[in-house]
Order: sequence, then structure tokens, then C-alpha cells
Amino acid sequence: MVGGGQLLLSLLTGLADAAGLFFVASGLTVIFGVTRVVNFAHGSLTMLGAYCGWSLISRLPPTPLGFALGTLATMVLLAVIGAGLEIGLLRRVYRAPELFQLLATFGVVLMTQDIVQWLWGVEDLALRRPPWLRAFVRLGGARFPRFDLIVIALFPLVFLLLWLVFTRTRWGRLVRAATEDREMVAALGVDQRLLFTSVFALGAALAGLGGVLMLPDASANLGMDLTTVTDAFVVVVVGGLGSLPGAAAASLLIGLLQAFGIMLVPRATLALVFVVMAVVLVLRPNGLLGRPPGRGGVLGEVRALVRPAPHVLRWLGLAALILAALAPLLLGPYALAVGTEMLIAMLFAASLHFMMGPGGMVSFGHAAWFGIGAYASAFAVHLLAAPMPVGLLLAPLAAGLIAALFGAFVVRLSGVYLAMLTLAFAQITWAIAFQWVDLTGGDNGILGVWPARLVAGPRGFYWLALTLAVAGTLGLRAVLAAPFGYTLRGGRDSRVRAEAIGLPVTAIQLTAFALSAAAAGLAGGLYAYAKGSVFPTYISLGHSVDALLMVLLGGVATMSGPILGALAYTGLYDVLLSATSLWRLALGAAIIVLVLAAPEGIAGGALKLWQRRRPA
Amino acid sequence: MTAAALLTVADLASFYGRAQILHGIGFTCAAGEVVVLLGRNGAGKSTTMKSLIGLVRPAQGRVTFAGADITGAEPHRIARLGLGYVPEERRVFAGLTVAENLDIGRQAPRPGLAPWTPARLYALFPNLAAARDRAAGQMSGGEQQMLAIARTLMGNPRLVLLDEPSEGLSPLIVEQMAEAILALKAEGVGIVLAEQNLHFAERLGDRAVVIEKGAAVWAGSLAALAADDAARQRFLAVGVET
Repeated sequence: MVGGGQLLLSLLTGLADAAGLFFVASGLTVIFGVTRVVNFAHGSLTMLGAYCGWSLISRLPPTPLGFALGTLATMVLLAVIGAGLEIGLLRRVYRAPELFQLLATFGVVLMTQDIVQWLWGVEDLALRRPPWLRAFVRLGGARFPRFDLIVIALFPLVFLLLWLVFTRTRWGRLVRAATEDREMVAALGVDQRLLFTSVFALGAALAGLGGVLMLPDASANLGMDLTTVTDAFVVVVVGGLGSLPGAAAASLLIGLLQAFGIMLVPRATLALVFVVMAVVLVLRPNGLLGRPPGRGGVLGEVRALVRPAPHVLRWLGLAALILAALAPLLLGPYALAVGTEMLIAMLFAASLHFMMGPGGMVSFGHAAWFGIGAYASAFAVHLLAAPMPVGLLLAPLAAGLIAALFGAFVVRLSGVYLAMLTLAFAQITWAIAFQWVDLTGGDNGILGVWPARLVAGPRGFYWLALTLAVAGTLGLRAVLAAPFGYTLRGGRDSRVRAEAIGLPVTAIQLTAFALSAAAAGLAGGLYAYAKGSVFPTYISLGHSVDALLMVLLGGVATMSGPILGALAYTGLYDVLLSATSLWRLALGAAIIVLVLAAPEGIAGGALKLWQRRRPA
Repeated sequence: MTAAALLTVADLASFYGRAQILHGIGFTCAAGEVVVLLGRNGAGKSTTMKSLIGLVRPAQGRVTFAGADITGAEPHRIARLGLGYVPEERRVFAGLTVAENLDIGRQAPRPGLAPWTPARLYALFPNLAAARDRAAGQMSGGEQQMLAIARTLMGNPRLVLLDEPSEGLSPLIVEQMAEAILALKAEGVGIVLAEQNLHFAERLGDRAVVIEKGAAVWAGSLAALAADDAARQRFLAVGVET
């Protein structure tokens, strides 16, 4: 039975977790509110905070004062780094579409990982803990770290301080006004650049605070950037984007839920948080305390039209296809394995492009469908002992059906909230794959998913992958060129007008969502047979981000974008991985250069060059 | 003050994406003068104003204000030179109180103009005084319009761009609005007023510029417009509802 002491302990643990979440999430929500940038690099700032804090505090006297000074110095340092990041990079992409800002911040994530590893090494860095940090307080027979009590006390303190800044200072009022309508703030004579830079600096300082305060209980490690940013996103979205009280409330909710969740449902802890996020978003599409999104641009973006491919491109495509079909006669097994992966990546990217380009629904969790497809094939092999064709049929079917059910909730949302709900679903799926060990093998995955004998060799499987991936990609293209594609884009460009002329926009979007998931599922099924195994990492956030990067690299606006993007990304990845140990630094830098130089992606940039040479 | 124009707009052209909205707008406005931009919905009045304040970057033409070339400058620089903008949709900060909204608009006093303070603005718009601690989002349309104007005045503008301030307001509020505009004019503030309401325009305006399909097609005093039956004919078709 759970005693009173145990309950109190859980409560305090939950509060301490909530405090940690709040420090990081408050920075993220303030930055998002004003700049509208979905700052994926916020977790990297937290990680930098932890590492910088470790270096500073280790050099200071091991006293509470030394710790406090080190913390403050870290916050100042992070504020400077944040301001530098804003001035050096983000300022140049505010006018770019939301997604390109995301891409740019993801480039920062990659670069930061290598920079931190280069500066501090791969080892986890734990703080040497002097007695005052190790001290416990006794609560009803249980011991609770005294430091966590300090963290808990800091939560209301920091909240109050921020609240005072935002209500009592002109700067804070400007920030709140800019969160609502930054264009109007500029028209009233306020220099947005200063405001944005200072907001970013404050957000980064808060991330730094969060990072430092993680040190005594855990350690500085290289994985904390993505785990932190995922948690922070959940908090920010549950609380309502841009809302500080919302972030506080959501931190409390999630912190306490995690603490008590471990007691109640120990096997579902990973999924619990995302289930809460999904439930909140379904019930309150703008989060607990969020408002409907503020005013963006006055007019919607002018989007590229979808036209049949020009003749040259068709011939190029056909030539590439013939070349690809003949490749097994020329290439060795390793190159063919890479080629197979590229083809699967192409279908995966095309499926994401289908929903986020013409569908207007950006997914942060597209890997869920890929993973569901892969696991469906694996289950077909292991539970049903079914032959490969059945497995490959089940993959898109399972992904499509589950997407049709889940999509009913997704298509009610839009923008970042929609993207976060897809992320929630992907994380839940990932958690199931990871924690339901009896069924999925957990981290060990499912092995022995081998293809049929006919296509067991690298050549055979390459041809199979070529056939299915090209058929799937062209199939998606055909759907977009059909009237369905027009209605889909109509609903994206103006939901109200599309509905007013009688288009069932919700049903159209749901269909598109399910089709996209089915195609991703097919890619996942193929991948399962190609690798002979299935792992939870197929569903990880990193894999979803891979898909996003491919689509954005290639360009959202063109049909050939995702194809080029997938090939370029997998190619670049392979080349960099073998060429340099600092491949993340190189890849991140390449992404950032691309965002700055060709915000329309590779295919978009090529199209622009093409059009410039041949005036319409 | 001399009669030299405070604001000079010449041959202005602007695009939204690839669609050209303005095809050559030109007019001037002096201190203490009310110039009315008349035209139908979609004629380009709002786009003209957005191009002047810098929210839309003009593709062509030249805008000079208070002796400086502001063509294509950033909105906050233009605003700091003393060009105020009150948008058609009001765009008050809904989550901020009336007093906070005023604070956002605050700029340093401008030489030669009596500085606006919240107290003076509350005297000009008594409705705002009673609501100073209410969230702007909870106010009526008329009160929001007053707040939008008051907020812009906190920047001590030399000239104000007023985009359809009478739109959708009750006659009583429209009357208050007209008096406020006349008070501003008396202070020597230049006013460019976009209007569809001809009665309102005739009561306040010194000169009128008629905009059609993004181009200035007629310019002259409102008295001349009153005498020009052919030109009036075009606006009577707009409707003269209040």
C-alpha cells in the first residue's frame, strides 16, 4: 500500500520535475510567442546551459554561493549565445515560411551536438557534489534531496519574476503586444529586431537555468537536447503557445502526472505524457490557456501551382528511372543496399510531402506511420507466419487504417498544434514499441523479417523496392493531379471558401492523411524486409525529423522536391558519415547554408533558375 | 507652418505577391490638412496606407515624409519619423489593457507639437478613461476604434493615416470620431483619411484623391468634388450609407 510519506515524496518529486520543465518551457513559449519561430534548438540551449554550468560551477568554490554565481553566469552566457543565434541566423529567416525556420533551428541542433561533443567529449559529466548538494531532508520516513526543495522554491519565484517583467515593464508589455500582433507593434515605432533579440536572449537564459539545475540530480549528457526539447514542446503546446501561465500550469500537470504515473502505471510512463497532450489538444485545440493563433501575414503565402512536369523533366525522370533500373547490373551489393534505402526514403519523403505540401498539414511524427508499417510486416511474419506479399500489403493497410482513425482528431487542428498532435501520436507509438516488450521485443526489436526467396538477394530486393517506391510515389502524384488533389489544395489555401462551395474539407484532409500514412507504411514495410529487422528507432523523433529534412531540403512547393530531397539527404548523410567524424556539424551547416541561400529547397531553387533563364 | 507638403507620394506601385494592387498613386498632405482618399472597396486605399507606413514594400514610386525619403523603409523607422497609422481593422492588443495599449504607442515628444499624454487622450475620448484597466479585447468596436487612434497619437505623430475610422460604427460614435479628427487638425496634425462614407469625408476633408483600381484618378478640393457632377456620380454609386 502506498503510504502518506510515499505520496508526499511523489508530490515533491513531481513539483521538482515541474519546476525543471517550466524553466525550459517558459523560455520556449516566450520565444515562440513573439518570433513565431518553433525553436527546435531550445533543447540544445538547455544542453549548452548544462555543460557551461558544469564547467563554471566546477571551477567555483563548492558552496551554495559558488553554485548560485555559476548559475547566474551560465544564464548570462546563454543569453549572449541566444542573442548571437538570433542575430546571426534567425533574423535572416523570419520572412521565410515557418517550416524553414524550423529547418534552420534543426541545423543548429545538429551543429551544437558536435560542438558540445568536441568541447566536452562524449562522457556524461556529473557535478562533484559537495555535502550541501548531497543533503537530504526527512519527510515521513522518506528522504528527499534538499536541492530539489530549492528547485521547487525557484518555480514560483521565477514565475513571479517573469510575470512582473511582463506586466510591469514597458519591455514586457511590448513583448505581450508583439505576441499578439508584431506588425502593428512595428507600425507604432518599435524596433522589432531589438525586441526579438532580447526575447531570444531571455529565452536562452531560461533554457540555461533549466540546464544548470538538472546538473545535481543528473548529469550533462549529449542526449539531453532532444529529450528536453520534446518535453518542453509538450508543455508549451499543452499550456497554449505563447502563454506563460499556460506553461506553468502545463508544467505542473505533466510533472505531477509523471511522478504519480510511475506509481500507478509503471509500464506506460513514456506514453502517459503524450496521451495527456493528445487529450488536451483534442479537447482544447489551442492548449489549456492558449488563444487562437495571432495574426500572421496579411495575406496567405503565394504558393506555387501544381502543373504537369515539363517535358524536359519527364525525359530526365525517365532517363533516371532507366538508369536506376539498370543499376543492379553495374553496382555492387553495398551500393545497391544504399540505393534501396534511398528508394525507401524517397517514398517516405513523398508521403510526408503529400500531406504537408498540398495537404497543408505538417507532421512532426511521420515516422509513426513508417514504424507502424514496419511492425505490421514484422507481425505478419512472426504472428501470422504470412508470406512477404501479405506483409507488404498489411503494412500500408495498417498504417492507413490507424491513420484514418487517429486522423479524425488531427485534421481538426492546424499549424503547430496539428504538428504537435502528430508528434504526440508518434511518441505514443514509439513508447508502445519500446515498453510493450512482450509483443515488440522492446529495444531489442523483432529480428528475422526476411524477404521472399525470389527477392532475397540485394539485386532482387532493389528491383522490388524500385518498383514499389516508384509506383507509390507516382501514385501519390497521380492523386494530386486528379480532382481530389485540387480540392485538397483548395482546402489548404482557404478552408472557409472551400467549405462554402460545398467541399467536405475535413473528409478530404482525412483521406489525404490516411493515404499519406499508407504510403509511409509501405515504405516502412519495405524497410523492415530490407533490414530483416524492426526497431523502435524507426518511430523515433529523429526519424520523423529525417523525413521533414528531406522534404524541406528538396522543397515543399514542387512535386519533385521530396524525391530530390530524399536522394540528396541520404546521399549527403552517407558521404558525410564516412568522410568526417564531425558529420553532424557539416550536415547542420549544410542545412543552414541551404536555408539561407535557397529557401525554396533544391527543387524550388532549380525551378527559379530555370524560370529566370526562360522568361514566361 | 509653411504650406510645404509634409507627405509627398509620387507614382506609388505595390504588389501582393504577383498581383499588382497599386498602379501609380500620387498626392500630398500638409500639416493641419485633411486629405481624403475616396474609393470603393478594393480600390487600393488600404494598400496605399500600408505602403506608406512600410507594411507593404512599394515596388516603385517615391514617398517623402518630413523631408526624408521613406520609400521602402522599415515600419518602425517610418513611425519614428512621426507618421502614425491607424489600421482599418483597428488591431488593438486584445490581451492588454487600455492603458497598456496606450503605452505601446508611446514615443518621445516631438518638437513643435504638444505631447500627448494618457490624460489628454482620456479627455479627448472619455469612453477610454472609464475603461483604462479593461482588456482591449472586451471593448466595443467604437471604443476599440478610439483606442486605436489614441494609441497612435501616443507616438506624437506629425501626420496620421486613418483607414476608414467610421466603418461599422454607430452615428453617435462617428460624430465623436469626427470631432476628434477636427481637434487633431486644429493641433496642426496632418491627416490622410481613407473613406467610403462621402458625408463623413465632406465634413472633414480639405482635399480629396479618388482612387480607382489602384490609381489616383481624380484630385481636388472637396468643394470642387461637390461641384463636379461627373466625378460625384462615380461615388454616389458607392453608396452614401452611414
